[in-house]
Amino acid sequence: MFITTGTVSLLIIPGIKTDPDIRNYIPKSIGSRAETDKIESEFGVQDMIMILFSDGTMVSRENLDNIRKIDRSVSRISGVGDRISPFTVKSIKSEEGMMVVEPLIRIIPSDTAGQRKLGKEISENRFAENIVFSHDLTSAAITATLSNMVPERLNLQKIDSVINTETGNLKILRGGLPYIRKYLLEEVNRDAIILIPAALVIMLMVLKASLGTWHSVLLPFGIVFVTTALSMALIPLLGWKMSIITVLVPVILIAVANNYGIYLVARFQELVLRYPDLTKKELIRLLLGTLNMPILFSGLTTISGLLGLMMHSIIPARQTGILAAAGVSAALLMSLIVVPVMIYVNNIDKFIRKKKTRTTERFEKFLGMISEIIIARNGLILAVSLSIVIMSGSGILLIKINTNQENYFSDKHPVREASKMINSRFGGSQTISVMIESDILDPGVLNGIDNITKWTESQDGVGNVFSISQIVREMSKVIYTKDEYGYDRIPDTREGIAQMFELYNMSGNPEDYRRLLNPSYTKAHILIKLARPENDVIKLVKSGIGELSKGFPGKVTTGGYALIMTDFANSIIRGQIFSLLFAVVTVFLLLSIVFRSFKGGITGSVPLIASIIVLLGFMGFSGIELDAATALLSSIMIGVGVDFTIQFIWCYNLTVNSGLSFTEAVPEAMRTIGRSIIINALVVMSGFAALIFSGFTSIRFFGYLVIISIGSCLLGALIVIPAILVRYRPGFIGFKTNKTSENEKTNVYAGYPSATVAGVGTKS
Amino acid sequence: MLAILLPLLQASAQNPDATQVMMKCRDLSITGSMTGKMNLIITEKNGSIRNRTLSMTSKSYEGGLEKRLIRFLEPADVRGTAMLIIDNRDIPDEMWIYLPALKKTRRIVTSEKGKNFMSSEFSNADMSSPALSDFSFKYINTDRSGDQWVIESIPASDDKADEYGFSRRISYIDKDSYQTKKMEFYGFDNHLFKVIEIRDVILLRDGKYMIRDMAASNLLNGRKSEIVFSYLSEGTDIDDSVFTLRNLER
Repeated sequence: MFITTGTVSLLIIPGIKTDPDIRNYIPKSIGSRAETDKIESEFGVQDMIMILFSDGTMVSRENLDNIRKIDRSVSRISGVGDRISPFTVKSIKSEEGMMVVEPLIRIIPSDTAGQRKLGKEISENRFAENIVFSHDLTSAAITATLSNMVPERLNLQKIDSVINTETGNLKILRGGLPYIRKYLLEEVNRDAIILIPAALVIMLMVLKASLGTWHSVLLPFGIVFVTTALSMALIPLLGWKMSIITVLVPVILIAVANNYGIYLVARFQELVLRYPDLTKKELIRLLLGTLNMPILFSGLTTISGLLGLMMHSIIPARQTGILAAAGVSAALLMSLIVVPVMIYVNNIDKFIRKKKTRTTERFEKFLGMISEIIIARNGLILAVSLSIVIMSGSGILLIKINTNQENYFSDKHPVREASKMINSRFGGSQTISVMIESDILDPGVLNGIDNITKWTESQDGVGNVFSISQIVREMSKVIYTKDEYGYDRIPDTREGIAQMFELYNMSGNPEDYRRLLNPSYTKAHILIKLARPENDVIKLVKSGIGELSKGFPGKVTTGGYALIMTDFANSIIRGQIFSLLFAVVTVFLLLSIVFRSFKGGITGSVPLIASIIVLLGFMGFSGIELDAATALLSSIMIGVGVDFTIQFIWCYNLTVNSGLSFTEAVPEAMRTIGRSIIINALVVMSGFAALIFSGFTSIRFFGYLVIISIGSCLLGALIVIPAILVRYRPGFIGFKTNKTSENEKTNVYAGYPSATVAGVGTKS
Repeated sequence: MLAILLPLLQASAQNPDATQVMMKCRDLSITGSMTGKMNLIITEKNGSIRNRTLSMTSKSYEGGLEKRLIRFLEPADVRGTAMLIIDNRDIPDEMWIYLPALKKTRRIVTSEKGKNFMSSEFSNADMSSPALSDFSFKYINTDRSGDQWVIESIPASDDKADEYGFSRRISYIDKDSYQTKKMEFYGFDNHLFKVIEIRDVILLRDGKYMIRDMAASNLLNGRKSEIVFSYLSEGTDIDDSVFTLRNLER
């Protein structure tokens, strides 16, 4: 059954499809998505690809020839829609009473004088400088929209093939959201194909080093493998797609699903060595008697914490919650059934190291030393821990939120280089769209559009802005002379505006025009490109437009991919904060019920809360930003933080119930469950070390942060919790764990919790 | 071998040279002078319709020169806006536009024949009679009924292809009347992107004809444009003074 589930799941996994478009992660009902859809249904999709060229000068004959070849080839790809390139930009100028509309480059200049003249014309053309040529003429760009009638992947393949065959000496970069999506897809797939197996191999090696025999290793490892495969197989079975969030499902399972198996195997090894006279059946009963309840409780807490993600507004986050909860449930079930069965049907020797190694002895010595320090210096430990938590807490104020998906890539990644060039030289790669619904021919409305345009243009972090009011003003410059009334102004009458639009119809590119104004002149579009597409700029622009829209004679709708991205990241972060609070409350309630004490609930919640504060504080001080990936750390912390704490307190309680004092119980609990917890933490941390090789910056940071958070959960459970228990001797310790606890005083195996032994005695 | 070649030989024997067919077709569609009133109806993909009523006067001169005066009659916002177009055969067209609300006339110089005519799906080239030397022609025998010639026109150079905005055009020409019935336009990776259908013509003397009703459908953006003449008069004596700036601003 176990093997069949894994095999069938593995066969289904190749059917997984990936969806890199973050727009689809957000429900259609959410503001920015709904408003963007509305604007795009009127003015077309605003996602653009950009092909960027750079060299000493772009106006040389050779470079312009190459750009023209590429531009022509790109124009002949059926999936390419509107295009803005050095060869499509028009020069609109007034010459001796004529309005001359002609291509900016009619003939490629062959001499220096011609090139200088072209450079001057570019600097004087507001539709060329910083749009198709950089200010210093060292780079040029072709911008194009892609038709959604052709699959984006095919369009990009064709463009790539054009670029690859006609590069010349030019350095060429590709950017824009379609390329960002393409690279995201490639990196997600790469991470899934390389890093997850790498994490599993590292885990396998660490498990082997910790548990000694292959039988001991393969049980928890097999559970991780099968549950991960099962969860991934659910993706196509449920009709879902892989996303940059659901790629974390295997990561969460690697962190959580092996815990239960490791506890069981490590504890079994310890029981065999301690009670060599017990039969296999008795050992298994003893094992389950001590571990089944804490495993069940920590499993259920983790599952409920993960299911808390179902209330998330982001679709893949909900899916991640369901998939990870399904995986953890399967891991819980398999651990409690398959592990004991496998131990039972195999020879005990296959799970036991032949003899204690020097490392094992050192490890036990180390645990003993830690216990002594906790007993002797518990006040100091608590004071230092509290100071660290308080200091870390101050770092939370420094946390920055990153909503820009360009930052997912490392500085040297080609798409990041392209984004930097677009943002610094070509007015920005990400956009905000503003749609105005009104009578656009009304001079009051068009002046209002002009006010929004001018205000937006003047904001720091905003690159190029395109609006119909700019075009009307530009045209007024060629209709009127500088000293005439009307120059660089919106006409005063609706007839004047209507006729200006007709003039543009005759002279400009009607497709450009349609991107800014609908044919019936009832809707206008302002396209804002962001030179710095960060959260603060986006918030500023959105709120500023909101202010300018008050009292505006028409309906103003604000959307665009930059806003979707901000909503996406903010929803993820809000959702995760909610999930964490949900988890903390769940853990508190569960531990309160288990320990029959609110104090017990509070004590048990300490490592989780402290770890969250330390982690967020570290992020604040180190400058690691909170983004869609790093925010999902909470899902792992829920599983790991809760698990370590429940296991330790449960075991400590059993030890105290067996007759040991609060002080004596520390080394005993440390030697038994402490060892398992440390093995668990080491395995998970080493597995996550694989993420450090991810192509995404934020996933790399995620790897570091997981190591820190699991490390702090480990210290919380093994240092801070025993220090609290020894110092304050809370009354909840001593709670009864099963019906046979009355017998605990009379059934004592030397140094071992009597309740569990009593369990063996009554059942056998 | 003979069996393979025979149909080709027969086709060759039956059909005149494709260039000659296109030349005759073009000659029959060029009229000396005309006046008319037409509606330009643009239907967007979402069904919204924009209707403009225009008056048009045109006159052809020797050497392929053609002059047109177009004046807006409806809608009211643009009433009186007028364009004077000088359609030169080998040099860029000239266009003057008069904006009555601004009391300004401006000359627009543009050389793009592929550019849309008044923001419709018709190009400027569709509205005039492009030079035959800009294309090479050949037959495509796809018409089963046998009453139409199906001729492919390919721009003579890459520059011409850029100028006209298509890689090939297929014309369906009636064998009896030499009237073009339909034209299909293909993009640069051989996708059909536009179809023009001639729905009605007015027959003139000597086999000449004028198009009264035609529609262009853009298959990429789902837009459709129609030109329907409600009044059309051919061969009237039109004075050259009609095509002057003074008359434009009248």
